[in-house]
Amino acid sequence: MTRSHSTGGTRVKDPWDVVAGAVLLGFALLLLFYLIPHYVGEPAVMQNPMMSPRWLPTIVGWLLLVFSVLLILQGVLVADEDGDGGGGRRFERGPWLRFALMVLALVVYVGLFELLGAMLSGIFATLLLFLAHPVRTWWAYGLAVVFPVGVSLLFTEVMNVPLPMMSF
Amino acid sequence: MENVTEVLQLFLAAENFLAIAIGVVVGVTVGSIPGLTATMAVALALPFTFSMEPVAAILLLVGIYKGGMYGGSITAILIRTPGSPASACTLLDGYPLAQQGGAKKALKMALYSSVTADLISNIALIFFAAYLAKIALNFGAPEFFWLICFSLTIIISLASGSMVKGLIAALLGILLSLVGLDSVFGSQRLTFGNYNLMDSISFIPLLIGLFAIPEILEFYRKKVVPHLRAKASGAGISMNEFKRSLKSIVRGSLIGVAIGAIPGTGATAAAFISYSDAKRRSPNRERFGKGEVEGVAASEAGNNGVAGATLIPLLSLGIPGDVITAIILGAFMVHGLTPGPIMFQENLSLIYALFLGIMLSSLILLVVGNVAIRYFSLIADIPKAILFPIVLMFCVYGAYAVNNDTFDVWLMLAFGLLGYVFNRTGIPAAPFLIGFILGPMFEDNLRRSLLIGSNDLSIFVRGPITWFFIALTVGSILLAFYRYFAARNKVKYGAEEPEQGI
Repeated sequence: MTRSHSTGGTRVKDPWDVVAGAVLLGFALLLLFYLIPHYVGEPAVMQNPMMSPRWLPTIVGWLLLVFSVLLILQGVLVADEDGDGGGGRRFERGPWLRFALMVLALVVYVGLFELLGAMLSGIFATLLLFLAHPVRTWWAYGLAVVFPVGVSLLFTEVMNVPLPMMSF
Repeated sequence: MENVTEVLQLFLAAENFLAIAIGVVVGVTVGSIPGLTATMAVALALPFTFSMEPVAAILLLVGIYKGGMYGGSITAILIRTPGSPASACTLLDGYPLAQQGGAKKALKMALYSSVTADLISNIALIFFAAYLAKIALNFGAPEFFWLICFSLTIIISLASGSMVKGLIAALLGILLSLVGLDSVFGSQRLTFGNYNLMDSISFIPLLIGLFAIPEILEFYRKKVVPHLRAKASGAGISMNEFKRSLKSIVRGSLIGVAIGAIPGTGATAAAFISYSDAKRRSPNRERFGKGEVEGVAASEAGNNGVAGATLIPLLSLGIPGDVITAIILGAFMVHGLTPGPIMFQENLSLIYALFLGIMLSSLILLVVGNVAIRYFSLIADIPKAILFPIVLMFCVYGAYAVNNDTFDVWLMLAFGLLGYVFNRTGIPAAPFLIGFILGPMFEDNLRRSLLIGSNDLSIFVRGPITWFFIALTVGSILLAFYRYFAARNKVKYGAEEPEQGI
């Protein structure tokens, strides 16, 4: 079974491929005409252009450009192999609050990791995640304290891998 | 004699035994929890190896790899959810057998065939890795250049799904591997003036981000699916049943070895080829797909036969064959070791200590696997709502531990998002990782060849070895086109005819 999606009069077989191809095409153009000339340094004198630090990024850029066009064509002409959206690419979404709490937990990790230390930020983030996908067993919330403390100590005391501890 | 003593000294450390045992236990546990993968476990374990001795560090990761391969089959048999893609073949017969009350029989057969295949694969590793490394000593930069070209093309051509997406993933991996200071001229490449990027993108945050974070993101984004419960009940396997399946196990193991030794092919292909071979030769072929224990044996043998063999190209040539060996390559690098022919000259004792440890891991798998069959329901009943927050904590701590810098946590999250986008768009992550690892090797060998040949391009066709790898590279590109057109024909043909199964 194949599914086609109507977009402005044309029938696109796999819109995900078209969108991904278009984004990659834009990125390839940005890479070739802005990023490489501005952000890849090149020595003034070069015996062989293949030795240049720009040579491989440029080749990769052009190949990306070609294959992103092919991906767009594939999306327009060829149906998704799995028919239903492909390898679990589409799924039924859960409540937005759960996702928002997960994002908040990530913010706690990246924003407060050095400020609060690994243990406290770990406890806060784990509690948020337990609330996000509600854990209904009350004693399981104790694990939100036990694991961050235990794993932090495992890293710092047993494995000798330093982690930030409370700065106050 | 001096070497033997040195090997034993390296191997007989208590830390090694502990590392293998912990590795196998973690691997089997993680593998038997639906939603967690062996790749994720190996990636998360990598930061723990920083302070370990190299042998113990590698054995821990190998133990997780092997345990995870078997653990994946437990969920395939009991709840029809393969823990890894390679276990998908096991459920064809394992699940029907479990439904008929033979769950324990299927699990025991999976374990014994896994351990047998694993041992055969390890023996192949020991014999072929040294031999291949000896040949590879004759390779210079142009030969390695073409070998890397072949590795990249074969990995892309055999990547599951679309070839175009495989190529795009590999190109993006190569591009990101170039970020940092240029190794010859020292000029900055795509660092945007950020000093954190000057030493190139850290491997571990990339790895954790790509293989662990997307699973977590999806878990919190998806609607909850009901949790399945199952028990390993019924009788075990008899000696007669094992003997009847032994030929299929040995054949499957050899198929696994042959396939595993080629970079990029992977355990899934080996499991399905071994299964169809056993079905073709078996007198009970009509029972295949309906709960035939020989089917479980064949697919598990093919699947596990790959485990040791994938280490052959890694140890002898320094080329990772799949994602897990790519992570193991990272572990070698963390400990200042570069796998390849030179390592066989300079660190022979270490390699043989590793071989001994890898052999021992198969025996430990036998013990741990038997225990896991008994306690599987306890492991699988751990709710993911409790597991994933703990996994995320390991991800953050592990990424931070690389350079003691929050930048790596950001990097991990960025790669997590990229992995999530890859999942949504069907772009495979494996060619991306292999491209990231092989990119600098590709450029380095290209430049060294040009320097050796004084910028004369004829150095790239200087002898029979280069021509051999050129032929393999061209062959793998042709194979990619063949697979593409064969898949298209199958889609067309499949639309007209009902599915026949394997």
